[in-house]
Parts: sequence; structure tokens; C-alpha cells
Amino acid sequence: MPRIKLQSSDNEIFDIEVEIAKCSVTIKTMLEDLGMDDEEEEAVPLPNVNSAILRKVLQWATFHKDDPPPPEDDENKEKRTDDISSWDADFLKVDQGTLFELILAANYLDIKGLLDVTCKTVANMIKGKAPEEIRKTFNIKNDFTASEEDQVRKENEWCEEK
Amino acid sequence: MSSISAQGVVERASAELSKRINGLGLSRGKHHSSKGSVMERVTNVFCGNSSAVQAPEKPSRLLPASRKPAPTLIRRSCKPLQPVYHTWEQLMVDEKFLAKFFLYFSPCERCVLAQVCLRWRDVLYRSPRYWTGLVPVLQCRELRGFQVTERARLYSSLLRRGFHSLCLMGATNEDALDMINTFPLASKHIHTLKLQCSSIGDQGLESLMEHLQALYELDLAGCNEITEQGLWQCLHPRIVSLTLTDCINVADEAVGAVAQLLPALYEFQLQAYHVTDQALGYFSPKQGCSLGVLRLHSCWEITNHGVVNIVHSLPNLTVLSLSGCSKITDDGVELIAENLQKLRSLDLSWCPRITDAALEYIACDLNQLEELTLDRCVHVTDIGIGYISTMLSLQSLYLRWCSQIRDFGLQHLCGMRNLQVLSLAGCPLLTSNGLSSLIQLRHLHELELTNCPGASRELFDYLKEHLPRCLVIE
Repeated sequence: MPRIKLQSSDNEIFDIEVEIAKCSVTIKTMLEDLGMDDEEEEAVPLPNVNSAILRKVLQWATFHKDDPPPPEDDENKEKRTDDISSWDADFLKVDQGTLFELILAANYLDIKGLLDVTCKTVANMIKGKAPEEIRKTFNIKNDFTASEEDQVRKENEWCEEK
Repeated sequence: MSSISAQGVVERASAELSKRINGLGLSRGKHHSSKGSVMERVTNVFCGNSSAVQAPEKPSRLLPASRKPAPTLIRRSCKPLQPVYHTWEQLMVDEKFLAKFFLYFSPCERCVLAQVCLRWRDVLYRSPRYWTGLVPVLQCRELRGFQVTERARLYSSLLRRGFHSLCLMGATNEDALDMINTFPLASKHIHTLKLQCSSIGDQGLESLMEHLQALYELDLAGCNEITEQGLWQCLHPRIVSLTLTDCINVADEAVGAVAQLLPALYEFQLQAYHVTDQALGYFSPKQGCSLGVLRLHSCWEITNHGVVNIVHSLPNLTVLSLSGCSKITDDGVELIAENLQKLRSLDLSWCPRITDAALEYIACDLNQLEELTLDRCVHVTDIGIGYISTMLSLQSLYLRWCSQIRDFGLQHLCGMRNLQVLSLAGCPLLTSNGLSSLIQLRHLHELELTNCPGASRELFDYLKEHLPRCLVIE
């Protein structure tokens, strides 16, 4: 199995199978664009991902390396969030900061499966919460004026399922 | 706590970004190999050359001016699809990410998300697909207290979100007139109107019907001021779906108006205690062709004679509900089975006179039936379930509170390989052992077992393990 070295932002080197690294579309494209061969000695730098997160990402990718490719997104379809596998659920029992960093990394590295399962976890975290609690959780500023906030509340409180 | 750690993410991220900037400068200086260092090549792929580091951001990535933009390091100058590393704050306003993220929520849950911040509201409001399945319900009493401009804004937000349906709760004639004045675009954009618990009179309804030129679906629920005469005045032939529920003045004459004035009617739902068998004979031959869906809910006066009228005047029905029409007996069901062979859905819930014999007729003749509801048919036994189990096209079966069904009946059901939805809620005699055999129904995606004494914790775990794709409602 050809291997590759990845270098985290804090300069830790991870030596893994190329096939596992390629579950990241970003890394895959990078390797293709760079014309890197499999015997590359030098480490590929991932300057936005620290070693703790990269380790988690690679742990996830290693476990899921034989997964079938994820189905094409149906852009309109509501996605379930109650179907997280037990391995993933255990894997994501981390503090909130780590979870957010995993999302950032999955988004940057373009790892669809990891982004999917982390988004589900975060979605479940905020379901049933009030707007203010969601802002707090996600560190989002309330930029509505008082009257806009009133308005948007009415617009949405006055919606029901058919 | 939570906001602190999110802040931490941001800080760490920006620290990494500055490191990255330094790293780029250093590595460019140090390496001299002919191939160039990996870092150098990465830099070139992402940045083109060193001057591109300062290249302007793509407009779509720009943050709103009100926010302090954090530095994004990897700029794109040549390739459109290069990845961008976002900080958490950037991700929370990134339209591409948000558009995907919001898919993990139901339309109702999105109503809360739209109240979080401007960006979330704007991304959500822009796409009608986020709001399908919801209807805006305007509380007229409260709406009256708004400024005219506030009402107009509310109406325009409905259009922005792509709503074509509207429910007015507690509307009066004045409210109807006000909506006509403040919401002129409703005439083109509102396709579905529901008036609920409203004291609106014939005049108000008539004005609305004149204004709403695109309306084809009308639902009146609890409108006790509307008279049968009023319906004669305002029903318009463009209506293809009509629901009349719990309106005290609605009786046979109203059905007469519907039969005369709505030749293109496809769906008719009626809940009226005083409608008699006779009214069901009013439908015209034209409606006999067009009407596909008839729901008569709790029309207590209807007997098997009414069913005779239905099967003669409406031979093309595909959906029929006689829920709560409690005078219907097995003979009525026999008529339905023999004459309405296009039926795909039949609801006989709360028809307590139905017995196993009716199910035999259904199983023999209704070969296209996909959905059958028998909730509260208390005389149905395992024998009747045996008949039903021969129906290969059946996909949904509701047997809530059918109190005589036993495990033996379940064994029949287990042969129904096409069954996707099954409810046995409130069936008291089913045991844990009997219910466990349901794992044979491999295509099941919804199983309702609320209020089943036989459904234990262990059973639920067992079912979930063996039917992983099935939603088991406990």
C-alpha cells in the first residue's frame, strides 16, 4: 500500500495510506494538481488543521475507508439526523470546541461523510432550542433590530404544518 | 461555556493562519531543489504566485460589511474550486455551507433557525424548498393591532418565502377586506386559502373569492356565519379542491351547490353531521369523471343508501374515506368493493359495524388498494386480517385499537412482503412474542406500536436491530 505523509499545523507528521488520505477531496485534488507520485518523501502540509484534529480525522477516515461512496446529494430533500451509526456517535463524544473544529476540518478537507455526520450531530444539538440559545451555542451575533426581530418572530410563529 | 469554546476555535484558527503566512515566506526562501518543496508547490497551486496572496476575495465569499473579516489565507486566483478554510464565524455565515446545513432540519425547525440572525433568515427565506409542507396561519385578531406597513411587510415575506397557501384564523368580513387592500399580490400568488374559526360572512367570503383569482383550493373550517346561500354565491368553477368542516350551516343544500358549481372538482372533503344520503346523489356526470377523492368524516346520517349514491355517481374515486360514518355496515362495503375498483385508499375507521365479512369483500375486489385504515373497527378479528393479508398491493395498513386482533392475526400479516407502514397502536392482546415476528416485514419503514401492552423495551430494541431502516414509533 503506498503511503503518504501529512503535516499538521503544529508540524506533526502523520504517515498513512494514500487511499485513506484521498477520502479528502482537497488532498486528492492537491495530489493530482501537484503531480505527486506515491513515493513522495516530503510531507503534505495542512496548515489549517492541528494535530489533535488531524488525528481524529484520520481515525475517522481509517474506520470508514471501505464505505461505499456516499450517494449524490438530493438538494431538496430533508436529511435525517437520527441515523448516526453507533461507532460515529461514540467517535463524536467530544467537547463542543472539538466538534466544531472537526466540522471546519471536514469542510476544508472536503470529506463528505465526516461533514455529514458532524453536521447531524450539531443539528441534533440545536434542535428544540430557542434562537437565543442557538446564537449562544454557535457564537452568532444577533444583528436584527428590535422591530425586525419582532417581525421575523411573527412570520415564523405563525407557520404550521399543513 | 459554549460560546467561550467557540471563541477558542476562532482564536486558534487565526493563530494557525498567521503561522501559515509565516510558513509560506520561510519555505519559499529555504528550498532550492529543482522540483521545489511540497510547500512551495502547494503555495503555487493555491496562490498562483506570491503576489496572489493579496488578491481580492471572490465576491461570494465576502463577509457582510458589519462583521470584522478574519483573514482567509488561501486565496484563489486561477482555479474556481480550491478549498477555502473557514473560521467558525465565517462558516456560520457561509451561504454554501448554510444551504446544506439547513437540510438537516424540518420546515418547522427552520422557523426557529430563521430567527437567529439576518444571514440565516435571508438564506432560508430565499428558497421556497425550505418551507414546503408549512402554511402561514395569520391570527387575525392580533394582526388587526399591527400598523398597515407591518401587515404589508408580513404579506411580502410570505411571497419571499414562496408560500402559495394562507390560513386566516378568526377572520371577520373587515379582515377579509383589509387583506384584499394590503395584499394585492395575493390575487396572483395565493392558490390555497383556509378560513378557520372565522366569523366571516357570505359577503367577506365572496369578496375574497373575487380577489383571489389564482385560488383553486378552499378550506372552510368552523365558519358558522357562512350560509348555504353564500356558497351558491361564491363557489367558483376554478376550485378543484374543497373542504367543508364543522360549519354549522352546511347540509344537503351546500352539497347541491358544490355539485352544480364546481364541475372540475377533484377533491371534496366534508364533515357535516346533517348531510343525508340524498345529497350524495347530487353529483353531476362531469364530476363523476373528475372527482377522485371523497372524504366524508363523521357524517353520521349517511347509511348504505348513501353509499349506493356514491358508487353510482362517482365511479372514478381513488380515495374514499367514510371515517366515523358509523351507520355503514358490511353491505355498504360490499357495494364499494364491487363498484369502486380504482380505489387506492380506503378509510373505514370508526365504523364499528364493520366485521370480517367486509374485509373479505375488500380483499376479493379491491386489487389496487394501497392503503387501508380500520382504526376502531372493534369487530375485526384475526380471520379478517387473514383476508387482508392476501392483498399484494397493500402498502399501508392501520389497525389502531382493533381490540380483537391476536398474535395469530400477526402471523398472517407477516406474509405481506410489500407492507411499508403498519400501525397496531392500542391493540391490547398482542404479545411481545407475536410482535417480534414483524421483523419478517423487510420493507417496513414505519411501525406504530404506541399503547401496545405487549411492546416491551426489549421488543423495541429487537425490532430496531432487525429493521434498521424502519421508524418504530413507541
